Amino acid sequence: MSSAVDITRAKQIKELEPLQDAWVSWSHARDSLQETIPLLSDEDPAMRALASEEYVSLTETLSEHVHSVFPKLLVPSSSTRHLSAMLEFKSGVGGSEASLFLADLLRVYVRHANANRWKTQVIASNETDGGGVKDAILEIKGEGSYDALRWESGVHRVQRVPATEASGRTHTSTVAIVVLPLTEETDNFSSGDDIFSMDDVKIEVMRARGAGGQHVNKTESAVRLTHVPTGITVSMQDERSQHQNKRRAFQVLRARLMDIKLTKEMEDRRATRRNLVRGADRSEKIRTYNYAQDRVTDHRLGLSLMNLTSLLEGDGLQDFIDALKRSHDEDLMEEIVEGL
Amino acid sequence: MFDHMARLLASLCTHLGREQAKQEFKWMKQALDKGLIYAPTDLSTMVQRRLRGEPLQYILGTTPFGPLDLLTRPPILIPRPETEDWALRLANGFFPSPTRPLSVLDLCTGSGCIPLLLCHLWPPGTTRAIGVDISPSAIQLAIDNAVRCNIATYDEVPRTLPQTNTFTPLLGDIRDSAFLGSLKPPFDIVTANPPYIPKREYVELPTSVKDFEDPVALIGDPPEAAQQDGLSFYHCIAQLLSIKGMLKESAFVALEVGQGQAESVESILREVAAFREIDIWRDPWEKKRVVVARC
Repeated sequence: MSSAVDITRAKQIKELEPLQDAWVSWSHARDSLQETIPLLSDEDPAMRALASEEYVSLTETLSEHVHSVFPKLLVPSSSTRHLSAMLEFKSGVGGSEASLFLADLLRVYVRHANANRWKTQVIASNETDGGGVKDAILEIKGEGSYDALRWESGVHRVQRVPATEASGRTHTSTVAIVVLPLTEETDNFSSGDDIFSMDDVKIEVMRARGAGGQHVNKTESAVRLTHVPTGITVSMQDERSQHQNKRRAFQVLRARLMDIKLTKEMEDRRATRRNLVRGADRSEKIRTYNYAQDRVTDHRLGLSLMNLTSLLEGDGLQDFIDALKRSHDEDLMEEIVEGL
Repeated sequence: MFDHMARLLASLCTHLGREQAKQEFKWMKQALDKGLIYAPTDLSTMVQRRLRGEPLQYILGTTPFGPLDLLTRPPILIPRPETEDWALRLANGFFPSPTRPLSVLDLCTGSGCIPLLLCHLWPPGTTRAIGVDISPSAIQLAIDNAVRCNIATYDEVPRTLPQTNTFTPLLGDIRDSAFLGSLKPPFDIVTANPPYIPKREYVELPTSVKDFEDPVALIGDPPEAAQQDGLSFYHCIAQLLSIKGMLKESAFVALEVGQGQAESVESILREVAAFREIDIWRDPWEKKRVVVARC
């Protein structure tokens, strides 16, 4: 019989696994080292040589544990580690070129998600006539997708000669990305849980319908939600089904409110512990894609990747995501040490 | 290729307006890409049909209705978002259980959208619905939709089968008293979206309604009726409801009405059948859309 208690316990055990693994491999290396030390002064030169090689390798393993494996275990497990992500894309300066770049970025994130076996769905997209996308919402479902992608929020800048530019001049355009936490979808999409109250949400259908009912058979499925206390509005019109659009709109609203809640929690924590983790300002330029120099630079990390194609067509994004996670973990560790 | 697409979209824009055209064009492409269109066709043909005024729902062959995706077939009335809204509201207002099941009668059932939604949303083994329509092609569509939604279409479920909800579409004329005998009353819930458009308004309707959907499902009065106010069916339904043994104790009735008809239908119900409470529900566009009554 698997009760809720069993499940909680199984989860705890699962989460303690890295600690157990680290301790086992540390103890193992330490024991081996102790066995190796006497052999360093063995009578047999061959044995001494072997022991000294072994000594070097084991010392490396142990210092790797001290410098990297153990500190990583200090990083508190993220409270948002189970959440999926919702990425909102908006083209900024640069007109149609920004929309074309947005379409490129959309593909980058879809491919990255697929490589991680996360499920993707474009739940809203506003396409331009020239093959670009003015704005879009991409849902990325899968445990850990929010934690991995959350630092992608910010302004992404591209410097390139647009396909549409005859004179060959380099343009600069931008796309803003906001990564929102996506909570598990419930059947009753309009129940607010602790994030919002249904009484605070105004639901409106778009456009007038004349007499409506049997008089009209035009599809008008657009829906707009307004969360009165925050003034947040969400419009959804991509589906033929009003029911579906409403469900989607509630999903986006919930994600935005959850984002506000998380941001506030982080700020409260930072206020009590002084400013250690740098705040993510969404209007901040975080990355530049420079085609002429075949370079992508992350401005927060000061890290440049000298192969733009690998990011646009391969798994280059993973390098940035890993580096951002490392940087975040280090900040967290500093915060802990500071608090000691 | 790109030019061809742009031209198709442009022609649709002149007809529907830019925003609507972009949406519908996208839905047509999606339906084709996903292989959701049953008849062999192409985008150009679909756009041509739309330009001639054919409803998008007939071209795509389906329409969403709450969580359901129902078949649409000319000339059977296409389920409207107004109906979807109140049917969902109705579904959310009841909590039937296998020990307290509900019997539902839907008059002028058309595609079967209302009883199918209830059968879909309520737990298995709690709902026995009957849908009546005068049109054989509507009854066929209702049966096909039940199959599509995995709802059993026979009334008597063999005891060997697990508990299930049933929807039985019946061909018949609700104005024919002989037919009423086959209905197996009493009912807990009676719903109807009867034809309610007055003749004078019918002639003014947009092409997509007037030239493609069945006038029998739209025009509210027979030509010989003295009153041409679109209310004939409500008189008939009220008569039917007032038959002894038709409704259970504290039965619930929901009748969709056209613009400006709610108060008239309310008084018809008040006069002909004795209801304790009568209320009017508005649709998402703030129109008085449904008259609901409880015994």
